[in-house]
Amino acid sequence: MVNDAGQLYTMEGIAAGLIMLLAAYIVVSTTSIYTTGDTHIPDMQLEQLGSDVLAMMDTPDSVDGESQLVKFIETGEGNDLREAFLANCTMRSGDPDNSLRAQVYLSYRRTGGNVNTTPISREDESYTGRENAVRVTRWVQLTGNPSLPPDMPDDMQRSDPQTVLVEVLLWRA
Amino acid sequence: MLSLDFLVGFTIFLLALIMVVSMVPGLLAGLESSGIDYDAVAYRTGVILVEDPGWPVSPPWESKGVEHKDKNIIVGEEGIQRMGLAVSREAPNILLSAKVEKFFNDTFFDRNDYRSKVIFGDIPYSYRISLRSLDDTYHYMTGDLLPADYGYIRRVVKIKEPSWTEIVGSNSNYWTAEPTMPTQNFIVRFDFSQLRDQTISPVYQIDPRRESVNVTITKFEEYHNDTTNDMILQHIRFQKVGVADDIPFEYEIEDPDLYILRVDGNLHHLTPNTTVSENISLVLKPAATADFPLDDDSILNIHFTFGNTKISGTHNYDYKTPPLKTGVLEVAIW
Repeated sequence: MVNDAGQLYTMEGIAAGLIMLLAAYIVVSTTSIYTTGDTHIPDMQLEQLGSDVLAMMDTPDSVDGESQLVKFIETGEGNDLREAFLANCTMRSGDPDNSLRAQVYLSYRRTGGNVNTTPISREDESYTGRENAVRVTRWVQLTGNPSLPPDMPDDMQRSDPQTVLVEVLLWRA
Repeated sequence: MLSLDFLVGFTIFLLALIMVVSMVPGLLAGLESSGIDYDAVAYRTGVILVEDPGWPVSPPWESKGVEHKDKNIIVGEEGIQRMGLAVSREAPNILLSAKVEKFFNDTFFDRNDYRSKVIFGDIPYSYRISLRSLDDTYHYMTGDLLPADYGYIRRVVKIKEPSWTEIVGSNSNYWTAEPTMPTQNFIVRFDFSQLRDQTISPVYQIDPRRESVNVTITKFEEYHNDTTNDMILQHIRFQKVGVADDIPFEYEIEDPDLYILRVDGNLHHLTPNTTVSENISLVLKPAATADFPLDDDSILNIHFTFGNTKISGTHNYDYKTPPLKTGVLEVAIW
């Protein structure tokens, strides 16, 4: 009994189904509930913390002092930078918050002119299996260091003052 | 007998219905998401404490009272409106030690003060606010014990302590072989345009109208003229350069909220007329300087008048501040 006349019913059924889906979607999305999972509040808290720490590490302790962040970059101490960063992040009024981990990257302009990003701290033992990592960044002004230490990338231009981007990936292990 | 078309159409309809029905549980999720509110309130409180200097700014709120403690304060006008700990709006995350010490004084403030001047909101939140420095010289807390669940924010800060200048007696710049008679004058000069030099970061600028300044003269015996008689500190006066008269002030009343003068370790008012043998220390607080008729380009002189000394000259108040101290501020709200 299948003939062309049935096609209209099929099309009508499909159209009705699509209209129902559309109606249901519109109804549900207008009453969507804001839950903790949706707002990524723990991410925001971590991002604020990381951003504060980078800003404070880049603030000298006296008017003629040196920025701790600039010093770590210019002396090529990426691991020490990561340790100092984590020490500031984990500080609390009670016990330290020891579940935090970090990895530091540096974006700089090569002598050839293009931009490269490289990790400057050792990989963390909890590097895999992380979740909800946040990335905090800060532009750092370097004064120019003709003899760049061996841990810094070889193709980083050395003699002129330059601006580099320090990125820190921060997560809870 | 059902046709194939009907079955196909009905199947599609059923699939659509199943999808809609499976979305229904989402409608029944709790609308009272107070957990979000606590985190948001904690974050806002953290921003007020760490990025805002509070209100009023000059004279600063830490020199003010609160309505329930001081009956002279008209509610909402002269008292503290908002308590923030930052040095200024241009220096976020840099806290002023005077503001920190006043904020955590809970013999002065009560819960309603913290709720109405820091936390805000219509709901009487419970709170716990703490500040700790890396070297543990600052370890303050106010509020209740933490429950199992609460909104939280943690901010990393640096704490700025008051600046000072020290004039050491052996400094020959201020020693003269031919002192003026019968009295000798020594001036400590605050050139506001230098202290608030815009080429220096706001973190390191000094504004006597917002923070305490400290003048210390040590080894004062080096300035002794006639050693058969004592040296005398007659009086200290405040003057604005360009104005002939002294700045109006209660020079003969001791007021630790405005200044602290110690002569050889003993407290005095600003007209002591007392002997001095070793040292003088004057701490001038922003509650006093904020009321002086000064603007951003003014020069303030602190004029010391001595007897029987060989001191003379003008010392420019220079930048000596202790290093900033790293700390962490935590706010919990429930």
